[in-house]
Amino acid sequence: MSIVVDSVSKRFGGFVALDDVSLEVRDGSLTALLGPSGGGKSTLLRVIAGLELPDEGSVNIGGEDATRTPPQRRNVGFVFQHYAAFKHMTVSKNVAFGLTIRRRPREEIDARVQELLELVHLDGFAHRYPSQLSGGQRQRMALARALAVQPRVLLLDEPFGALDATVRKELREWLRRLHDEVHVTTVFVTHDQEEAMEVAEQIVVLNHGRIEQVGSPRDLYERPANDFVMHFVGPVAELAGHPIRPHDMDILTEPVAGAVEAMIERVAHLGFEVRVDLTLGDGERTWAQITRAQADELELAPGTIVWLRAISDATTRPAIASGA
Amino acid sequence: MRSRLALRFAALGYLALLLGVPVALVFINAFEDGIAAAWEAVTTPEAQHAFYLTRVMVAVAVPLNTIFGVLCALAIVRQRFRGRALLNAMVDLPFAVSPVVVGLALLLVYGRRDGWVGEWLAERGIQVIFSTPGMILATMFVSLPFVVREVIPVLREIGTEQEQAAATLGAGRFQTFFRVTLPAIRWGVAYGVVLTTARALGEFGAVSVVSGKISGRTETATLFVENRFQRFDLTGAYAASVVLALLALATLLAMNLAGPKKEAL
Repeated sequence: MSIVVDSVSKRFGGFVALDDVSLEVRDGSLTALLGPSGGGKSTLLRVIAGLELPDEGSVNIGGEDATRTPPQRRNVGFVFQHYAAFKHMTVSKNVAFGLTIRRRPREEIDARVQELLELVHLDGFAHRYPSQLSGGQRQRMALARALAVQPRVLLLDEPFGALDATVRKELREWLRRLHDEVHVTTVFVTHDQEEAMEVAEQIVVLNHGRIEQVGSPRDLYERPANDFVMHFVGPVAELAGHPIRPHDMDILTEPVAGAVEAMIERVAHLGFEVRVDLTLGDGERTWAQITRAQADELELAPGTIVWLRAISDATTRPAIASGA
Repeated sequence: MRSRLALRFAALGYLALLLGVPVALVFINAFEDGIAAAWEAVTTPEAQHAFYLTRVMVAVAVPLNTIFGVLCALAIVRQRFRGRALLNAMVDLPFAVSPVVVGLALLLVYGRRDGWVGEWLAERGIQVIFSTPGMILATMFVSLPFVVREVIPVLREIGTEQEQAAATLGAGRFQTFFRVTLPAIRWGVAYGVVLTTARALGEFGAVSVVSGKISGRTETATLFVENRFQRFDLTGAYAASVVLALLALATLLAMNLAGPKKEAL
């Protein structure tokens, strides 16, 4: 189901968590709320779930106004960063919880639980307790529990935040595949831009309680709406006072019009990519990212004088684009 | 190695001197005149009535203080309201105030002649002081904090995420409480119940003041022990003490047998 958030504001005492936020999430899509901590992304997710009431504005789920609907009747699945597993229940009882509450017949519950445990690869763990599972397994159990009631939307709050790097990467891919199978409208919160880019179709960048930009991963990277987004979603170097992606620089061995003179300080080979540290004529330092093939061809070495310029389709903020 | 042994020896020795020896002597003295004499001493009508009254105290005070204790802990931990700090401090009052003072305070409220509501109640045929209701009130007062104090830290520790998860899965407030919150805090509640029971079994001072100590009518087991002791019926005093000690031990044992299983930790 689609989600429409309209002019939502939320304060906690003097702290403004959400400041007039409006957002549309398409039915069946996979959206990331991305931003630094304290930016309002978790609050926005909790407002959609009904775990927080907005001070102003409305939330509409699947065409119905849900602003005042308690979480019990919103029919959303919610997954918490620290799993929120029911520790005194077995894995199957955890997954069955929502169905038990709804007083579904026993056979139906058993069948559904079995189906979900297979979906999250936890069949065989049905009679274990959460304390006997690893972090990744607990989070998959929490996901199965949220999916059991066939929610209209699935909301995940930093779902992989408490897991180690390897499991994180695994679960990311797995969430992506799960979404392709289940097709439930999914919104997840993350502060990790790589995670957002890898998993989501649409990314919403939140900072200081406001939406900075909404777009596809590629949009955000190549056409950031402002400095904040440009810095948040990828690496940034400076060239003649303007921010630029370090791989959007041409390194030339001959001076040309519009290019800036620089001296190479250091050349670091990082596998496929080569990082070049440079000092500009005015003493400013910058860096560029080029491929190994380019580096070999240019025969770069510390002390060499080169000329830098932005490539023709370099990523720019609107401010630079309009100034050019 | 030697210092570790010394530490163990000190801990055990301290316990033995302070607890073990006196309690053991009570047991030995109770059976000095034989098991038959001891049995006879605790099966007299007065003794039977005293144990019955003690059971009544426990049967009323423990369930009421458990329900109140859990609700009070929930209010203190989960809600924000004016007077929350005051409520939190008030709960500790029975720890701070001497039981004798509690008894006197109850006299001031319910005393028949000059109590605050005593006369009004007496006109309606309700006698609180020198009667079972007053003794129950005294027992409830002194055993009030245990469940609250045991449950508060457990509630803090489990946090609210499990309850929120239950809410998003469709559980109402009561369902969430009985299916998620209560099972999560059950060992805290159980331990609180054990302490409340032990306190209710053993309360002497406050009950003594409001009871009037009428043998066979307003005498609990602890008052019965004092009564026997003062009348030089040492076998009766020690035998009743043994019964009280066994009841307390049984409570602790019951708790340990039903103790936390691995999933709770």
